[in-house]
Amino acid sequence: MRPSGWDFPLFLHVFGAMTLFGAALTAFLAAVAAWRSTDSAALRRAVFLSLLVVGVPAYVAMRGGAQWIYSKEGFTGNDDPSWIGIGFGAADGGLVLLLVTIGVAYWWRRSARPLAGRIVTGLSAVYLLVLAIAWLAMSGKWG
Amino acid sequence: MSTADWLLMLHISAAFFLVGGSVAAGVLNVLAIRADRPSEAAQLLGLVRRSLPFIFVGVGGTLVFGIWLWHEKGYGIDSWWIWGSLVLWVAANALGGIGGRHQEKGREEAEKLAAAGDTMTTELRALVRDPRGNAPSYLAGLATIGILVLMIWKPGA
Repeated sequence: MRPSGWDFPLFLHVFGAMTLFGAALTAFLAAVAAWRSTDSAALRRAVFLSLLVVGVPAYVAMRGGAQWIYSKEGFTGNDDPSWIGIGFGAADGGLVLLLVTIGVAYWWRRSARPLAGRIVTGLSAVYLLVLAIAWLAMSGKWG
Repeated sequence: MSTADWLLMLHISAAFFLVGGSVAAGVLNVLAIRADRPSEAAQLLGLVRRSLPFIFVGVGGTLVFGIWLWHEKGYGIDSWWIWGSLVLWVAANALGGIGGRHQEKGREEAEKLAAAGDTMTTELRALVRDPRGNAPSYLAGLATIGILVLMIWKPGA
């Protein structure tokens, strides 16, 4: 059993990660739908807003919860299990990916250029994959 | 990895699909409420249906792997936090279904108006914003968060 003091940071981390997955999923679904649409303004707005308004706060909760529980569990960075390294790698590398995707989504929203749409679709798909690898590694305690 | 580790990983993966799909449906519904034209509301509410496969995989996976895990981990039949989660799981599904029907009604009305000049009417705006119609969806979301709370805190375990 975990000490009860770990529960809230864990909840924050897991709920943030699940919501972040939802935000990236919304962006991906809307981006794919926008490709097929002749009038894609609402869908381009959905891509941008889901990442910015839902994704960013969810990222903060996920990453903050991760750091909080990491310090409570007493890890030091020396000989940490592999799943922790995968989780932090996905979180920190994923932040760059998330911010770049938001930037391109903004460009797409303003310009409606098909190239921007293709880039956003690709980046959001990669981000979903990164998040999936992170949750599989962390829930399966790989290594 | 032990059997319990595999089951936990699959159970949590299903939970990601359930919560992620629900977040997508919720975000699209909120954006549809704020849409300026019926065609935009129809597009966004139509896209909610694309999130349903994720929700269905999550609904099935959390139940199957969760009950299997209950047996594998040897939690007792008196584990009320698990029973509480099951009650919330049933409530979330029922409420989500009711809320989904309301969204479908809004989408159908929006598509009709989009085909007939694409001008927003007070009736459509009232329909998609209807607090009674949207309440089941929001309550389903709260029930899902409640499940997560019970799964993490495990009161009484």
